[in-house]
Amino acid sequence: MILEMEVAKTVSTRAILLGNEAIARGVVEAGCLVAAAYPGTPSSEILPAIAGYADELGAKTVVEWGVNEKVAFEMAVSAAFTGVRSCAVMKQVGLNVAADPFMSAAHFDLRSGMLLICADDPGPHSSQTEQDSRFFAMFAKIPCFDPCDAVEAKAMVFDAFDLSEKHNIITMLRPSVRVDHCRQDVELGDIIARDQGFRFEKDPLRWTCLPAGVKINHPKLNAKNDAIREEFETDYARYNYEVKASGQAKLGVITSGVQFSVVMDILKSWKRNDIDVLKIGTPYPLPVRMVTDFIDRHENVLILEETYPVMEMQLPDRTKVQGRWNKIVPGAGELLPEVVEGLLVKVLGGQETVTADANLKAALEELRITPRKPMLCPGCPHRASFFSIRQSLPAAINPSDIGCYTLGINQKGVDAVIDMGASVTISSGFFMAQKASGMDAKPIVATIGDSTFFHMGIPGLVSAVYNRHALVLAILDNGITAMTGGQANPAVGDKLRKGDKGAVVDIEGVCRGCGVSFVKTVKAYDVKAGKDVIKEAWEHAKANQTPAVVIFRHPCMLLRQKQDTIPVRVNHDACVGCKFCINFFNCPGLVFDEAKKKAVIDERFCVSCGVCRNVCPHGAIVSTEGE
Amino acid sequence: MQYVIVGIGGQGILFSSKVLGKIALSRGESVMGSEVHGMAQRGGSVISHFKIGQYKSPLVKAGEADALLAFDQNEAVRNLHFLRNGGSLIVNVHDAAALGNEHLKAYIREHDIRVYPLEGYELLKKHMNGNFLFLNVLIVGAMCGAGVGNVSYEEVRNAVRELSPAKFADANMKVLELGYEALKGV
Repeated sequence: MILEMEVAKTVSTRAILLGNEAIARGVVEAGCLVAAAYPGTPSSEILPAIAGYADELGAKTVVEWGVNEKVAFEMAVSAAFTGVRSCAVMKQVGLNVAADPFMSAAHFDLRSGMLLICADDPGPHSSQTEQDSRFFAMFAKIPCFDPCDAVEAKAMVFDAFDLSEKHNIITMLRPSVRVDHCRQDVELGDIIARDQGFRFEKDPLRWTCLPAGVKINHPKLNAKNDAIREEFETDYARYNYEVKASGQAKLGVITSGVQFSVVMDILKSWKRNDIDVLKIGTPYPLPVRMVTDFIDRHENVLILEETYPVMEMQLPDRTKVQGRWNKIVPGAGELLPEVVEGLLVKVLGGQETVTADANLKAALEELRITPRKPMLCPGCPHRASFFSIRQSLPAAINPSDIGCYTLGINQKGVDAVIDMGASVTISSGFFMAQKASGMDAKPIVATIGDSTFFHMGIPGLVSAVYNRHALVLAILDNGITAMTGGQANPAVGDKLRKGDKGAVVDIEGVCRGCGVSFVKTVKAYDVKAGKDVIKEAWEHAKANQTPAVVIFRHPCMLLRQKQDTIPVRVNHDACVGCKFCINFFNCPGLVFDEAKKKAVIDERFCVSCGVCRNVCPHGAIVSTEGE
Repeated sequence: MQYVIVGIGGQGILFSSKVLGKIALSRGESVMGSEVHGMAQRGGSVISHFKIGQYKSPLVKAGEADALLAFDQNEAVRNLHFLRNGGSLIVNVHDAAALGNEHLKAYIREHDIRVYPLEGYELLKKHMNGNFLFLNVLIVGAMCGAGVGNVSYEEVRNAVRELSPAKFADANMKVLELGYEALKGV
């Protein structure tokens, strides 16, 4: 009977999961009870998948979007003061936002396991940096797991929680984009039951980051690092191991994360038996003895890791290793299979043969084929808003922010972007610089999305009100966090788990509460109203030396809400071929026919939103209704 | 089997690897692939890698793909170098004249690439009221019809049916057949 029960319990199924879903499944199976995140590619799918699996497996996990990564991290880490397992999820630049609580809480003796999942984006594909979060783990002195695929990422979640609980320390799982967005067959299991309950005990020295506590905690943190490094040397052979060549090795390759997978597939395709590979799944604290021993046994050693030399810089002596210090391995960009193959050939003393084929190159040139740049979707309300803003005040400087609307660069509506929320503060900086240099004030009209406004736009706005900065902030409210795949935010109110209801936070009310004296809302598609209200807002801002807010509202096209369709065509008798619509509206559904020298509708992409009727200065774009 | 699937963000290219994955799983085979999410999905060039068998890396190396499924002919040309010698290209064509480019034809000849063109937009205009969102199902059907990808029509039908939301199930089966018939025996 007992045998039967055990079989029933361990019955598992296989499913093809996205790496991020595999991680989420691991989080729920490991009994995590509090999970918080802010969406950001390549991490965005993790939290919704945690909610989905928690619903499916009947877990009690509280799953919530924080308004930013700092908020999400603080919620998660403090839950681990109380005896319940928790995790925070973010992308690499999200950890910059959460750096403050992360650095402090790393010193704390947690009560229960806390896992930080921080997704990196070598390339980058969808980020403003390609920073390496493993360095952040080293900076904070917390252990880091670097998975080579989805299966290993899921397994590491369990170990990271266990290690966290064993040493009362935050642990980091650092999947890179190729792990997050890989699709692989993965074993599904059940929730591992564990005793967890809220047991917060008052102990101010333990839970308060006063200098007196740091004097105790910092040496303790160092001791934890020493102990964990020793465990990584001996107890983690499932993640740290050597794949020996069947023949005499001519080269040793040290890898971390997905680079291991890339190298193994290249060796398989080459059918080579003279290259040893050392796989490291725990790059910080580096099991230095294991790596040094591998280096000692090889004449020729290559080290491959993304994106920074994290393992390399932990080596006591790296002079024998071909890596980033001697410029063998590129210091920027993704180590794609073609790049790695070239590196292997180079360190083996061969000639790199990877060159672009002449015929293919000529075909691409003759056919004028270039990579298609990302652009705002057909019918996107942001396109209409940017058009209104640019046409209203052509002399204005236009700071912007992080989100789909960064693509407003194609509408010539984006002049400067730094990070989440900086549209407001860049505007303030420009205002201050203009004032200091005694120049005639150029209008400043910034753009920010609804979710980004809540994330980090509010402090800048309060500061601009307080300091009396004349600027216009256009909040492009499409009722969704769009770029990362359509997550809800405080302006929407929806939550992730079935049955969870959130409250809606009103953007206009927040702006007024911050002391903004001009707050007006327009329909994004209404280009004429948009132009008028932007002019009015700037006049108010200039006259009163204060920020003004204009909210452009229309649902994101990804929500596929029903809306009026207004099919259009370009009247070629009226079109003069000036390309104004291409240069300032830039819609995938409206293209230029080089042969005819006229604009045409590309029916593959046009969604008949009708906005472009208001764009052509010659009235050449007309509705086909009644034709 | 190694596939590379290319197109333009918004065309729904991820559906193809879902179908292939479902079939592999039912055969008890391992799969590994890579997808694009985030900014590149917004109308830009997108690429998805998919491998069935004993592979570790999610990425297909240039010159090793058995099949290239191209939802857009320009993206097909940009990614042709992924195909191995003797590989197959299924391509949705919107400008047939461009595919007659001499350099392109020379590359295809030199690398012994089998090309299966499909006028997807025309087919969908004619049979599906111009709803181009069905392009992904159409291309999967065409691949199967062309005998590329080592999958039977029965397997594809079952996988598409299982993956279809109820309200699109009938339409999807119709489009699948449309694609299958278009390239059957070509």
